[in-house]
Amino acid sequence: MAEVRQSAGMKPYVVVWIGLILIVAIEVLLTYQHLPAGRLLASLLVLAFLGAGLGVMYFMHLRYERASLFWSLIPYLIFALVMMDHVWPDALRLMHQRLGAGGP
Amino acid sequence: MGESAMTMGARPGALTEQSPYGIESKKLAIWLFIIADAATFGAILFAYGYLRVANPDWTRPFEFWPTIATGIAMTVALLTSSLTMVGAVRSAQAGRKSASVGWLGVTVALGLVFVLLLLLEWSAMIGAGWRLSKNPLGGSVLFGATFFGITGLHLLHVICGVVAIAVIAMGFNRDRLDAGHVETTGLYWHFVNLVQMFVFPLVYLMNVR
Repeated sequence: MAEVRQSAGMKPYVVVWIGLILIVAIEVLLTYQHLPAGRLLASLLVLAFLGAGLGVMYFMHLRYERASLFWSLIPYLIFALVMMDHVWPDALRLMHQRLGAGGP
Repeated sequence: MGESAMTMGARPGALTEQSPYGIESKKLAIWLFIIADAATFGAILFAYGYLRVANPDWTRPFEFWPTIATGIAMTVALLTSSLTMVGAVRSAQAGRKSASVGWLGVTVALGLVFVLLLLLEWSAMIGAGWRLSKNPLGGSVLFGATFFGITGLHLLHVICGVVAIAVIAMGFNRDRLDAGHVETTGLYWHFVNLVQMFVFPLVYLMNVR
């Protein structure tokens, strides 16, 4: 596997680098399209995860490691990030909550 | 990996086991650290998102020039440094020591470009009146806290990475360290750069005026 990677040269990594630069460019372009905040956020997150995935799989070589390493690392992280999403109902509740000027 | 490599440094007769993932222990250790650090950055970015949603008077102060332009330059510098780090690792694995050290030097330089640009940006914002608990535009003071907190944590990681790469480069150049050390340092550096793929859109682009 290492020999295959060496014979491929730097070309695959340059292609990934170009892809990451394009992702950044698309993010900036989307920002100035005056999209609704929710749609902009979703678009930026999708692009960020796409870029991070490319970096992890190619720059960090996870694609060329044993599958057991991938399955031991990534699902835990995704689980942890999904669990953090439990904060949103409370954030939305606070967004709509207004305290009176006198306050309790 | 040959058994001799697995037992390198161990005392004679020491029991060794093959890694379940087929990688060196230090490589597994850095992967575990990266996953933990990714959860840390995830938590701080979620906290930022929570505060942002919960505060309707959130300030969005960033103009394209100079803030977003600087952010683009910083992101491109880090992404390019990841590419040069790949070059360093591949050269090290191929036994081309001087080429690897050269690529590591370029990686350090690009990391320092990022540090310089961020410090210049901080200086401009502090000069405009922004603080951890002060908003010169009158909105939520949490903007300063989250901006300086998130970019500060990332800056700390970048500085530590720059120092680590310089130390590894010197050790590799003097044949005290091997290609595996360059690779593990590279894994950390790529992680730090990929964090910027989230910090830039969430902290910079979502706060464009």
